[in-house]
Amino acid sequence: MAPRNHKNWLKTPKVEYISSECYNNYSIFEQEIEHIFSKVWVPMCHISEMSNDGDFRSTQIANKNVVAVNRGGDVHVFLCPSIDRPAGNGLSTDGLHELHSEVKHGGMVWTTLDLNPSLSVEEWTCGAFDCIADAIDTEEMEVFHYHKAVIDTNYKLWHDTNSEFYHDFMHYFNRVSGFNDEYFARKNIPFDNGHVNVSSFTVNYEEYEGFEDRGELSFPNLPPNQWYMVDLFPGYNFNLRGNAYRSDIVTPLGPNRVLIEFRGYGLKKDTAEERATRVKAHNSIWGPFGRNLHEDLIGVAGQGTTMREGTETRNILHGRHENSTIHDEVGMRHYYEAWGKFLGVNPMNPLALLEDNVQAAE
Amino acid sequence: MTNASAVEIEKKIEKIIYRTALALDDNDWKSWFDLCDDAFFYSITSFSPEINKKMTYFSGNKKELVGLMDMLPKHNTDHSPLHRHTSVYTVEVADEGQSAKAISSVTIYQNMLDGINSHLDSGESRLFVIGKYFDEFKIEDGNPKFLSRETKLDNRRLDKGSHWPL
Repeated sequence: MAPRNHKNWLKTPKVEYISSECYNNYSIFEQEIEHIFSKVWVPMCHISEMSNDGDFRSTQIANKNVVAVNRGGDVHVFLCPSIDRPAGNGLSTDGLHELHSEVKHGGMVWTTLDLNPSLSVEEWTCGAFDCIADAIDTEEMEVFHYHKAVIDTNYKLWHDTNSEFYHDFMHYFNRVSGFNDEYFARKNIPFDNGHVNVSSFTVNYEEYEGFEDRGELSFPNLPPNQWYMVDLFPGYNFNLRGNAYRSDIVTPLGPNRVLIEFRGYGLKKDTAEERATRVKAHNSIWGPFGRNLHEDLIGVAGQGTTMREGTETRNILHGRHENSTIHDEVGMRHYYEAWGKFLGVNPMNPLALLEDNVQAAE
Repeated sequence: MTNASAVEIEKKIEKIIYRTALALDDNDWKSWFDLCDDAFFYSITSFSPEINKKMTYFSGNKKELVGLMDMLPKHNTDHSPLHRHTSVYTVEVADEGQSAKAISSVTIYQNMLDGINSHLDSGESRLFVIGKYFDEFKIEDGNPKFLSRETKLDNRRLDKGSHWPL
């Protein structure tokens, strides 16, 4: 391909693309809150965070405070105008409006602000969890890690990082422990509602100096050293890697700001030694001081910086077609097709229809 | 052990904690490891009220730490320098002067090298984390060496983090 100058860059690409306006416009952010985050099923926490009768766990969805409460082993979720603690026991829910909720997919507590959801969680996730269901639903799981990050970037850029895999070139660890024929043959598999999962391969942990093979401990029905990923629309990621499981849950705070909650999980029946092994494996890659997570956060912070409102609008290419294998952008195309439908906009020119939609709604 | 020798060991321990802070501030891992016994074990921990659990965010023995620090140049990391403000609160010498424990407060600032807007952010200092060091020492011939350090953070929010020990 001949080198492209600035004029060439601004021409309509001959491949699939979206506009950088998807990432930086406040009106779009407001529409996402109203038409996406107020409608979808959200994995707000894990059941093991509220295992005793009376335990509660709070979060915020689409600017609304929400609390999940354990009532005799059953989970109930309420809108809660005022909540001053992330967790505790003995919260009165008198007078609070109850929301729909389910415990599903490895013990996640799901809720939705939609008062009349047309789909169950199973119907919403639409088979995206099938690839790891035997591993995460056979034994009871338990959360052992929690930390959060507030990053000055758009929430979709974080989800993109979990959806496209060519950013793996940024990770030295992935370059040495993966990047073999099996890695490049991994498939991105789209599911309805904008979800995608990524098939597995065998990670060669011992290729990173000082690391050892992790095959001795795994999850039920999961062969050793495998790595599956589930990317759930609009911004929830589930990552099963060797002997540790991780979830990322985003809370958009603005077009250029996102809260990401990171959790790590093992099996409730783990011995102390097994749990220690899982924690160490989790931290080595995904902990706040691990090899990869920090690199991902640097990456999306930089992307956010370059696409701030006021910067020249540019086209983000989604044109890689490689038989749905790991660096094919099928997952990105699939996500933004669903995103456009939720907002009633074309991701290639999202502001064109947005104003019409907002005026019509008003 | 006389009171005078106990006081002398306490002073040496205070000194080694402060020298460690300087070495870590300079990313001078070798000078830090030289102050550690071969059996040294390091961890960063925190308690999460969110999940009601004590958590380990990072851990390793001396050999693992040396290996991880050797690998750092191969990784993309935020090189904004960290500055540790450490105050030694308590030193307790035991076993007739053969071991000791110390508790120190630590506040770590990050001096921004780059940021969301480097023209604006670079040079600014931000609070990075707060917590306490819980240190254990082995003392041979009156000279203390780190046997363990637990960096117990109050933070559960860690934004763009660090590949470095704190």
